[in-house]
Amino acid sequence: MLNAIIPQSLYRSYLLRRVSSGPLRKYLETPLPDKNSYLNDSEFLSLDFETTGLSADTDKILSIGYTLIRQGRIVLAENGYIPVDPDAELEEKNVVIHQIMDDHSKQGISFSVAIEILLEKIAGRTVIAHHANIERTFLDAACKKLYGHGLPLNIIDTLKMAKQRMEQQHQTIKPNSLRLFNLRNEYGLPRYNAHNALEDAIATAELFLAMASYRSNDINSCKVKDFL
Amino acid sequence: MEIEQLEIRDYLSQCAPLNKLDDALLDQITHALEISYIRRGKELLTVGEDNQTLYLIRSGALAVYDAENNLQGQFTEGDWAGYRSVMAGGKVSMSIRAMEDSLLYMIPGSLFKQLIEQYDFFKTYFSRQKPERLRGAILDIRDSREDILAVTQVKDLVHGEPLIVEESTSLRELAKLMTEGGYTTAMVVSNKRLTGIVNDRSFCTKLAYRELSLDDPIIKIMATHPLTIPANSMGSDALLTMAEYNIRRLPVVDGDRLLGVITATDLIRRGSHNTIYLINEIYRAKNIAELRNLSRHLPATLVSLVHNGMNSYDIGHAISSIGKAIVRRMIYFAEKQLGPAPIDYAWIVAGSMARNEQTGLSDQDNALILPNEYDEQTHGKYFEDLSRIVCDGLNDCGYVYCPGDVMATNKKWRQPVKVWQQYFNKWIDEPEPMALMYSSIFFDLVCVYGDKTLLDDVQKNILNKTRNNTIFLSLLSANALSFKPPIGLFRNFVLEETGSEQKALDLKKRGVMPIIDLARVYALSAGIDAVNTRERLEAASKTGVLSHEGMEDLRDALEFISTIRLRHQAAQISKGEKADNYVPPEQLPSLERRHLKDAFDVVRTMQLVLAQRY
Repeated sequence: MLNAIIPQSLYRSYLLRRVSSGPLRKYLETPLPDKNSYLNDSEFLSLDFETTGLSADTDKILSIGYTLIRQGRIVLAENGYIPVDPDAELEEKNVVIHQIMDDHSKQGISFSVAIEILLEKIAGRTVIAHHANIERTFLDAACKKLYGHGLPLNIIDTLKMAKQRMEQQHQTIKPNSLRLFNLRNEYGLPRYNAHNALEDAIATAELFLAMASYRSNDINSCKVKDFL
Repeated sequence: MEIEQLEIRDYLSQCAPLNKLDDALLDQITHALEISYIRRGKELLTVGEDNQTLYLIRSGALAVYDAENNLQGQFTEGDWAGYRSVMAGGKVSMSIRAMEDSLLYMIPGSLFKQLIEQYDFFKTYFSRQKPERLRGAILDIRDSREDILAVTQVKDLVHGEPLIVEESTSLRELAKLMTEGGYTTAMVVSNKRLTGIVNDRSFCTKLAYRELSLDDPIIKIMATHPLTIPANSMGSDALLTMAEYNIRRLPVVDGDRLLGVITATDLIRRGSHNTIYLINEIYRAKNIAELRNLSRHLPATLVSLVHNGMNSYDIGHAISSIGKAIVRRMIYFAEKQLGPAPIDYAWIVAGSMARNEQTGLSDQDNALILPNEYDEQTHGKYFEDLSRIVCDGLNDCGYVYCPGDVMATNKKWRQPVKVWQQYFNKWIDEPEPMALMYSSIFFDLVCVYGDKTLLDDVQKNILNKTRNNTIFLSLLSANALSFKPPIGLFRNFVLEETGSEQKALDLKKRGVMPIIDLARVYALSAGIDAVNTRERLEAASKTGVLSHEGMEDLRDALEFISTIRLRHQAAQISKGEKADNYVPPEQLPSLERRHLKDAFDVVRTMQLVLAQRY
């Protein structure tokens, strides 16, 4: 995927010359966060999507949850939860997983409005997600569908961070050990019972803070680029 | 999905003192909340810096150090930190370090100060010291369905004007007064002082039975020296008094003034438990089999008392009263079988029943005190048989044989006054481990049947001998300190193997026993004759051997631990399990765990004080 190779800032300037209006234009006008800034000086948006499946091409977003990290703290006042009307019947398998009934998700707002709100929240911030590929590919596909272009984005994957750490420490990676629940347990974080996009976004944000504090002896010396 | 639905908000709503706030405020706090993570060993607050944040530990643990880096305390999940500096305007005077990786919920100092100004309970929670926190917790833990009798004074339960008559009134006159006025009870006075009580039944049992004349004065049928109850006593006290003495009416007095009579019916109509019914049934039981059936109601009675929000002191009294009623009825059966006793005797119970601290069926500890004219040749057989019948019967009822054989069936514990006096002299003058073991039984005695003066004769000299007897008291103290509260140096719980897979707190051996033992030492060192632990503590503080604060702290710790224990037992009984004393701490809400630690801290402190004294 092109996105993964080229610098996101370059991609942004390229798009700025081609997108003249709409939500994507607004998003592009805010510079991407400075990768050299310190963790505590930068803002992060922990993000979680619930989807009907794993394919960004054929599956749909059901709901979006996010929370903000500012000055190294999770700020609950900036939480958000957006139920999305998927405009399609749900596949049964996923309904069970997410405990979302057909009726509930139909109460959601339209896909295009949801993405527009989300872009406002992401602008100028680094995104954090667990197993970020879902969020990255779905967001990219959404923008392509709605605005004709992909989305320049800096995104931190807590799953990848955990995997790298384990590899560095020459640990064998057991199946399931990289799951959000198990990683949280490892860092002594409390157990959450709820399973929805917002609770998962908060859970991911907490995990990020825990992992970041173990990255360096002095968390204040960590920079955004250390995690990308 | 609103912020109000977050699991974090649920968590906040269970943490004291936030649990007392209304929904709108909880939403406001959740909204203002920030979350941070701190690694083990890192400093959260440093002496001298400015802090404007209140911290709630969601997971992990923090330690507080003073300026000299001495550990001042450890705090864990559900505890608060940083409030002292916020309340002091921001200046941090103690440093706080993470002992474990911790997830912290942060509440802005401005919001915290606003809550403190607005809500007294909020302010009290954060300003009071640990023992005070415990006191508040006792009130919180009680079921809100507080028994009406426990909160209502008897003067408010008395209704209508009492019928008061002079001693010289004739039976004819009284019958007329009672019938016309619709009274079932009359109080008899002489010089305005209550001297007796007559009820409608007295006419039947006394007048008719004794073939008295209607012109005789009522003094001939009245019950003399009636028990009375002060007007400001609680309804539950009245009920317990009735249960204890098996009476159904109690005159209510305010100083010398007679206010009226309170009846069992008045109380039962108001209250919701069945202790008094059960005791009544026990006194009516026709044989041991019936008694055995009635004793099976004891667990259910405990459950209903706990559910009614009675405090553990009252529950101990109620359950022990039932036990004593069973003992008395059993003795009645034995006497009926063997004929009247050839000489007077005192049936003594020891241990928890004597202290009025039973929570259910337990081992029986009992003894017989006989007058000095007791002659084994002549009387021995009778009392051996009596003891056998009573102890076997109690065992049948679930008060199983004492494993240490402290029972009246054991000849050693069926002796005349002079022998008992020798026993006590030896225990006090030459205390040895065996004697100290007996002390926990034989210094907690009451007479439940027979001639109480026999016990008085035995005990007369005990308190004089123990008071200020340093050698005896120091050994007794050492014995009292053998069971430590189940809490480690860093406020961690010390759990015991329970026979099942789960480790648990032993709330009897390590919870209430250390307090009972402390109270006994205070009582014996100050010559206090009370036997109940709370009454001993209260009396001890009046004589000065125990400070007033120490008394309150221990009394509250006892009440809190006992309440947790009783609720655990009631829950087990409700589930059809056998009640025990093992409480796995993870079964308790975090707040109660913390208060339990406070209670254990109190006991530990008071044990240290005692250890330094002797």
